[in-house]
This record gives sequence, structure tokens and C-alpha cells, in this order.
Amino acid sequence: MTTPEVHALTGPYVLNALPEDERIGFEEHLADCQSCSAEVSELREAANKLGTAVAAPPPPALKARVMAEIATTRQLPPLLREQAAEPEPLRRKGFSRRSFFGLAAAGLAVAGAGGIAIDQYRENSQTRHQNEQLAALLAESDAQTVRGNLKSGGQATVVMSPAKDTAIVLLHDLPKLPDDKTYQLWLEDKGRTMHSVGVTTHDGSKVIRGGIVGKVALGLTIENKPGATEPNLSTASVIPMV
Amino acid sequence: MSEESTALPWPVIVDAGSGTPADLMARVARGDSAAFAQLYDQMAPRVYGLIRRVLRNPAQSEEVTQDVMVEIWRTATRYDADRGSPTSWILTMAHRRAIDRVRSEQSSTDREQAVAAASSTTEYDEVAETVTTNLEVEQVRHCLGSLTELQRESVTLAYYGGYSYREVAELLDAKLATIKARMRDGLIRLRDCLGVTGR
Repeated sequence: MTTPEVHALTGPYVLNALPEDERIGFEEHLADCQSCSAEVSELREAANKLGTAVAAPPPPALKARVMAEIATTRQLPPLLREQAAEPEPLRRKGFSRRSFFGLAAAGLAVAGAGGIAIDQYRENSQTRHQNEQLAALLAESDAQTVRGNLKSGGQATVVMSPAKDTAIVLLHDLPKLPDDKTYQLWLEDKGRTMHSVGVTTHDGSKVIRGGIVGKVALGLTIENKPGATEPNLSTASVIPMV
Repeated sequence: MSEESTALPWPVIVDAGSGTPADLMARVARGDSAAFAQLYDQMAPRVYGLIRRVLRNPAQSEEVTQDVMVEIWRTATRYDADRGSPTSWILTMAHRRAIDRVRSEQSSTDREQAVAAASSTTEYDEVAETVTTNLEVEQVRHCLGSLTELQRESVTLAYYGGYSYREVAELLDAKLATIKARMRDGLIRLRDCLGVTGR
């Protein structure tokens, strides 16, 4: 797709007129295009005026139902900003090889991310879709869930189904990283080869389709942007998957 | 408004008993349900009106409105003022939920879809009919009128009709690239006419 074409998508995007796949593609572009996100912000304000123009009083009883429901609904914890997140120092001294699931750094072979699909979800509107995917995965008879605290702060939960060869990684409460750093996720196979399955700078979920069978652990490291071909073991957290 | 207030011997309270949406959002984020009740009063008519405009079915609209209002409560902690006004955040969420509902039911409600398509030619007129004395509404009507026919239909069929750009192209018998471009330049013209700014 050429640049002018991508740019023209700000209109359909703001009107929620893009099909799912094109919307996700455009949001990825949006993350790297400052002029696009400024335009989206302005056009969204304009579109929302169209919404305001059709305001109508809701049924009076609705308020009581909403108030009753919020009384029993817990609010999400806030996302942590920079002040709450001190960059993780590289602690070479404190590094324990055992902590990376017995991984021998010397014998470490590294594979690329080839063939492993990543979906990154950023928007609230995706929450329901994500929940549906999680529910579908959990409904598999061989579904397993593992969870662990991350050395750099936060938690990771892995829901996986070898039968479907699919896993969903949920990351919570990740401290914000300096601008030049990124979190990177890895899957370790039985031969101790680390496979990168993508990078992220914030909380969210990653759907990993394919390449789950035979993997023994999920690793999370902190790397320089845009990501590394070999894991930085001093920052590694590992969650055994078997 | 401010000129009048200085002439009065008592303080003029704007939106009696309530704060601005931004103040209310901050309080809601800290779990203040009284602030949420005020935010509800300010926002629910816009949320419900928009959802009803897209979905048309009153029972469904009520259900989706409830979902959206509870979602506002649940995610108020994640609202980022740098990314837009509370009104914009809330209406964006409302529109997305309405569209989600349209899309998820699309395959099973061919009949309703046909009804919506049949009435889509009257989108603009209906907007005109809803005009009250509200200045903001009047301004939107005026600005929609400044768009070309194709811009206006592209924008309103998507926003109020809940159609994807491909469906809009089909309805208007136009090329996909043309519709995408008309949606964008239509919104740009609307933005310029309304004098709105982003974050």
C-alpha cells in the first residue's frame, strides 16, 4: 500500500468503517506515524460532534441499573507511568543461570521469529475480542495456564493449548521502560534454542499461533530497541511451560 | 456568559452541582461513584443517542449503553487526558461498541440490514429533523451542509449507518479509493467548519 493510500485511511478509521484486518494494520502504522495520529485525533473530535448532534434522553431506569452494576464492578488498576518505573539496572552480578530455566548460555542457539504470528492488542475495544480468544483457548480440553512474577516487575500469564498449537501471553503491570528499550518475549524449545516471539513496551496480550508444541518455557528480557537476536540473559525472567 | 456573571450579585454556577467532564473523570478514576453519577447525567444522553442512531433497536441500544457506561467506570483509571477530551474518549467508545454490535449481528440480521439500507438515504434529513435550539447541533447541521453530496453520504452512512467503507462504496456505487478519500476529506471539511482541534 502506498503512503497516500495509508493516509486516506484516517477517515474510514475514525468512522470505524475499516474491516478488522485493515483496522489492525492501520493501528500498527499509526503507532509510527505522528502526523497520522494528530490527524486521527482531530478528525475524531469532528466525528464525535456528529455523535453529540443526535443526543437523546436514555430511559430513566437505565441509570439505576448502571449504578447498581458499577457498585459490583472493580476498576482496572492504572497504567504505571515513568515516575513509578525505575529502569531495571543490568545486574550481571545478581544473574543466576538457573533463573533462566537451566539455560546454558554457551550452548545457546537463537532462532528468528519466522513463522510465528503475533497479534498485539492495544485498544480497549479489543478487550472483548481478546476475552473471546482466551475463552476459546481455555475451553480446549488440554488447556493449561502458567503464571509467574517477572524479575523486572509485573507478571506474565501463559494460557496454551498444544492441541491448537496456540498460546496467549498476558502481561500485567510491566514497568515503563526507557525510550530506547523494549521487552522481548522468547520461547525456549527442548534443544535450548530461544525463539523470539516479539517485542512490546507495555501491558497487553500476545496471541502466538503455531510453534507452541515442544516449547518448554517462556522468557522475557529487556533489550535495546528494536529487539535482539539473542536474549540478554541478565534481564531474563523465565516461566516454565511444562 | 462570563459578562453576565460579573453583573450578577451572586455567583453563577455552571452545570449546577457538577464539575467539568475532566474533573469528574479524575474523581471517577479514584472510585468516586457520586462523580460517576454526575458524569452519567452529562454523558448518557450523548452515548444513548448515538448508539440508538446506529442500532435503531431501543432494547439493544439500552443494553449497549449500559455496557459502555460500565466500561467507562471500569477503565476510567486508564483514561489519558493527553489523548483527547473525556467526551471524545466516551463517544469514541460508544461508537465502537455500537459498530461492534452491528458487525457481530450482520450475518444473522439480513432483514434489519435491508431496513437500515432502505432508510439510509434519509440520513441527512433525519439529522436536520433532530435539530433543536442547541447551538452545537445547529452548527453540526450547518457544517454537514457545507460538504459535497458524496462526502456527506460517505461520512453519515459510515458514522450513523454503521457501514464499512466497502458497504458504503456499494451503496453509493463508487470506487473504494474514492469513498476512503471522501470520508477523509469530508471529515477534514467538517473539522475546519466546526473549528475543532485534537489533543
